[in-house]
Amino acid sequence: MVKARRKADRRPFFMALGALALAGVAALAYQASKKSDAPKPSIVQQRGTPANAKPYVLGKPDAPVQIMEFADFECPGCAQFATITEPDVRQRLVDAGKARYSYYDFPLSEIHRNTISASNAAACADEQGRFWEMHDKLFNGQPNWNGAATDNPKRVFRTYASELGIKVDQWEQCYDAQKYLARIMGNKARGDSLGVGGTPTFVIGKRVFKNGLTFDQMAAWVDSAAVDARAAAAPARPPAKTDSAPKRKPGGA
Amino acid sequence: MTIAVLSLLGLFVALYLTLYKVGVIGELTCSIGSCEKVQTSKWAMFSGVPVAAWGVAAYAAMLTLSIAGLRERWEGSRALSYALLALAAASLLFSAWLTYLELFVIDAICMWCVISALLIACIFVAGVVDVSVVRRQTSEV
Repeated sequence: MVKARRKADRRPFFMALGALALAGVAALAYQASKKSDAPKPSIVQQRGTPANAKPYVLGKPDAPVQIMEFADFECPGCAQFATITEPDVRQRLVDAGKARYSYYDFPLSEIHRNTISASNAAACADEQGRFWEMHDKLFNGQPNWNGAATDNPKRVFRTYASELGIKVDQWEQCYDAQKYLARIMGNKARGDSLGVGGTPTFVIGKRVFKNGLTFDQMAAWVDSAAVDARAAAAPARPPAKTDSAPKRKPGGA
Repeated sequence: MTIAVLSLLGLFVALYLTLYKVGVIGELTCSIGSCEKVQTSKWAMFSGVPVAAWGVAAYAAMLTLSIAGLRERWEGSRALSYALLALAAASLLFSAWLTYLELFVIDAICMWCVISALLIACIFVAGVVDVSVVRRQTSEV
């Protein structure tokens, strides 16, 4: 009898607890549904002009060969190049003074929804002189912030900014204002003007490589471009004492 | 009953932060403090699992124990009350450590973390009261 009464006494409590649980689930569902309302970059449709292009550069200004990379931070092939091949390129070609390396954003925003945000994060890190560190973090951590992983990559990027020790508040203001959007789209426009269609695309000297390169291939093409550059810079020889026209180096890159 | 209600509230707070951490919820509602700074810091993970997910597990366990304690079979059970108190004490210590990190290491406060810390403190106090009541009842018997 007492047990039955006690059981009945607790029924309102369990009903109230159930109602609280339902309210909590509804609140969480509402919060989750709000994510699609989050501001999205309005930059996809914007077009840049090559005049605004300004790459991120490594190496000596007087290096004999210029390497240009057009890459998308969310492209897996670019991440593979950045993590596997690029360390060698930096050490054995750039640091060795053989080449100067320029990174151009080439965001393929039609297929990579977080790529412009990533370029934005890198450009804002560049403002504090930490582009290459952010570049490495973005490519190393690509699965953690790409379009398949999250709608809100900024929180991952901010963690990177924090880990790099840059002024996060300044970085965040820059990121939110999309301060370097014109530069990013300008870099892409530069690629468009060169006929870049996919990523990563490299330009070594005057040759364009659309299908990616291994380190050995890149090193060989840098050597070749260096020969071309030396030939172009060499003082003109006196006219040859033959009747035939002087032979010219084919292609010349 | 008090512990069940507090645990349920804590469960939803922890679930909210976990869903944010895994990307299901895009932006945190955070009128006080810097929730995102805390949640994106390296301290937001513990043993490879989001800290908030540990909170979900702890609150779910406390909710289960407290509801079990309301059933006739375990009503007045000392073992259950001690288990609940031990869990609350461990959670309180963990929460205190997280609050220390917020204040002195991350240098930012997360409103939801503070709410969770207060909830767990209340659960601990309620647990102490529960244990003393159960001990008194069983010693009277």
